[in-house]
Amino acid sequence: MGNFTVDILTPAKVIAKDLPAESLLVPTVKGQINVLVDHTHIVSKLETGMVSVFGGANDADKFFSVSTGVCKVLENKIIILTNTSEEKIDIELGRAKKALEYSENMLSGSESLSEDDFIKYTRKIERAKLRIQMASFKG
Amino acid sequence: MANIKELKMKIKSTKGTLKITQAMKLVSAAKLNKAQQAITTTRPYANELNETIKAVSALVEDYSHEYLNETENKQAVLLVISSNKGLCGGYNSQLGKEVKKFVSETDLDLKVFYIGKKAKEILKNNVNSGKQFDFEGMEPTFTEMQKIGQELATMFKTGEVGKILVAYNVFQSAIEFKPTIKQLLPMSLDENEKLELQNKFPFDFKYDPNPTEILDTLIPDAFSTTLWTSLLDGLASEHGARMSSMDSAVKNCKEAIRSQTLKMNKLRQAAITTELIEVISGAESLNT
Repeated sequence: MGNFTVDILTPAKVIAKDLPAESLLVPTVKGQINVLVDHTHIVSKLETGMVSVFGGANDADKFFSVSTGVCKVLENKIIILTNTSEEKIDIELGRAKKALEYSENMLSGSESLSEDDFIKYTRKIERAKLRIQMASFKG
Repeated sequence: MANIKELKMKIKSTKGTLKITQAMKLVSAAKLNKAQQAITTTRPYANELNETIKAVSALVEDYSHEYLNETENKQAVLLVISSNKGLCGGYNSQLGKEVKKFVSETDLDLKVFYIGKKAKEILKNNVNSGKQFDFEGMEPTFTEMQKIGQELATMFKTGEVGKILVAYNVFQSAIEFKPTIKQLLPMSLDENEKLELQNKFPFDFKYDPNPTEILDTLIPDAFSTTLWTSLLDGLASEHGARMSSMDSAVKNCKEAIRSQTLKMNKLRQAAITTELIEVISGAESLNT
């Protein structure tokens, strides 16, 4: 079975470049999709979640968190553009827990939040929960 | 002819300048490193984002977004990204030259906005100057730049201006940059480009949930990312330009110190010789 490559790009960093993969799981707004070699061309909107890159026999499996963005599949080259992304091994469980606690406090706090702040903290909670979930996930 | 004392003073002050230029070079090198990393890591994302938008908007028919619409309005804003400080070689002047050339050739009614003070000093007599944007800290942040972007985008959306352009130095390497003027809005594709893309992708993508929603989220994102990369490009070029100009300043200082020291030593030797001759001839006259 042939392979394809995966790029994960964020505005702050190139998270992964030409990562060899045999199978890929991507969270999209309509649910998780599985991409295999010679997949049809798609452009899909991402949902906050975990991208799993399965390397097959020769390469290691890798897991990344992603937030909003798009995923483009074009001729066995998959490009994921997202605002933030982290590889599973880089996730610090303690930091994620702290962030979750902090954001939840902000949301439940007595101070009234602006609409932008509300969205910001809701997203933060989403990401923190994902990180915690990923850190405890044994892939 | 300069005397020894004057030369000594000169050498001392040149040595002071040497120390300053050496320190500035080191500082710029460190800043360049950081700025270079910022631009090289953001560029792939920005390029890919623009590619995706181009491809999708070329393939999808009947899509319109307020950022894509061409207007007849000849009013335009040109945002010039320069530095606040000088001593960076041709960084600002080359950009100024490019802008002047553009202004003299274009048929647009341009208003020039600035990031960085230096371009304003160069251009104020040649163009219709507008607002100057400042950043709070030494390092501009993405949020600050986004605000500037929103302000410009609002001007475009309300129809106050028909085009938004940006002028900046594209970072190529530590010693090389290229002054460029780029159109930010509208992000329209010309027909040739469209055809080329349609030939390149003789199929349509499958979209999830639908192309309109994807483009709706990507286009504003692309606008702020492009603006942000222009700023990062400018910053990296600035530090690169300053580093190389400080490098040549250091070389010049060293050369000046060398030649002045040589001159001073020659003068000192001449003075000693004259004194000796005077003493000897005085002694000779006593003997006779």
